[in-house]
Amino acid sequence: MWVMVLGDLVIFGGYFIVFMIYRSMNPTAFLAAQQHLNITIGVVNTVILLTSSWFVAQAVLCVRGGDPDRAVRLLWGGAASGVAFMVLKCYEWYREIIAGQTNSDMFYSFYYVITGVHLVHLLIGLIVLGVLVRELRTPGRGRVWMIESGATYWHMVDLLWVIIFALLYVMR
Amino acid sequence: MSVLTPGRFSPTTAGGGKRDVGWMTWFFPAWYAVFGVIICVLTRVTPPPRPDITAADKVAFFNQHHLTIQIGFTVLLILLGGAAMTNGLVAYQMKRMSVGSVFAYGYIGGMGVGALPGFLLVTVCFLTAAFRPDRDPQLISLLYDVGMLSYNGSLGCFSAAYLVLAIAILYDRNNIFPKWFAYVSIWQIITEVIATQMFVFPSGPFAWNGSIAFWWAVVVFSVWLVALIMLLRKAAAAESADEPALD
Repeated sequence: MWVMVLGDLVIFGGYFIVFMIYRSMNPTAFLAAQQHLNITIGVVNTVILLTSSWFVAQAVLCVRGGDPDRAVRLLWGGAASGVAFMVLKCYEWYREIIAGQTNSDMFYSFYYVITGVHLVHLLIGLIVLGVLVRELRTPGRGRVWMIESGATYWHMVDLLWVIIFALLYVMR
Repeated sequence: MSVLTPGRFSPTTAGGGKRDVGWMTWFFPAWYAVFGVIICVLTRVTPPPRPDITAADKVAFFNQHHLTIQIGFTVLLILLGGAAMTNGLVAYQMKRMSVGSVFAYGYIGGMGVGALPGFLLVTVCFLTAAFRPDRDPQLISLLYDVGMLSYNGSLGCFSAAYLVLAIAILYDRNNIFPKWFAYVSIWQIITEVIATQMFVFPSGPFAWNGSIAFWWAVVVFSVWLVALIMLLRKAAAAESADEPALD
């Protein structure tokens, strides 16, 4: 899983670098476009995703402590937060598109592609959480390394969002 | 990574391998090398020519590379079936996994669907444009766009094949391929989802010659392909020569 996480961070790092290069070529247009983003939704989504990471981290502790039932409930909590993030993100996209912020603008083309790829990662993360729940519910299974690997992936999705949030929403 | 350990691929250290599988394992990089020469040196579709040029520039592109496009793509028409053979080798190793044949068939089917817009359509478009160089420049321009969009932008067709490959590797208990290769295959899906943006952007980072949509995806594809070639050799060497034939 560390191959996945570190390699994926490198790939996303490439996207971020290209974004910064294009931003430095036209900083005023990027800054003007950024003003249309709703930072409140961004902040709420960041809190939601950090909460989901807390659920998943607690689930790992429960598995290590020999309480798989509680771990399953915590994983459901993490997944529910992930779904809430997706719903809010879709609403944000809907809002931006209705407001005319489409990918004809360079900043928004980066916005849709980077957040879209992140959403795909989140979707994979939800599948991973489902695999973990199945692992914990199968009698005689519940391998700790598997739960830890899945949690590592989920934390990576969270970490990537924090960087995306800083780059797209906050950076002036 | 343990894959890089010297002597790891030596057939004498493992099961010995089957001779026919061994030949196909050598054919795999050989075919991709020939394919690379055709697309990079002869037909000039990689690195991609610019999307944001006028019809006159596109006509000039075909005039400049007229002969090599005709040589390269007619040769590719004959060799294109080699891609199916390389897919067959991957599917063979997938059938040796503990997951059953369905993923292998999915891989063959997904790769076969992708090869039509990915290779064949650009070949026919460019050969048609080169066939009558005195055609209306707007029509030449259309063939140029169709060819390049199909060649670079249709990669999403391959993502189903990468998905079944990744799932098969993760579920496999025979350890035909290492688990990390499943993750590299998933990266491929991500880059090819981004490639769809080429149909929207005639210039910039998401165009068909863009830094994100094209070049960064090429880096990931190169990592995937080199890893696959090495892992196919390893898997072939680890197979026992007297292992019974697959159904």
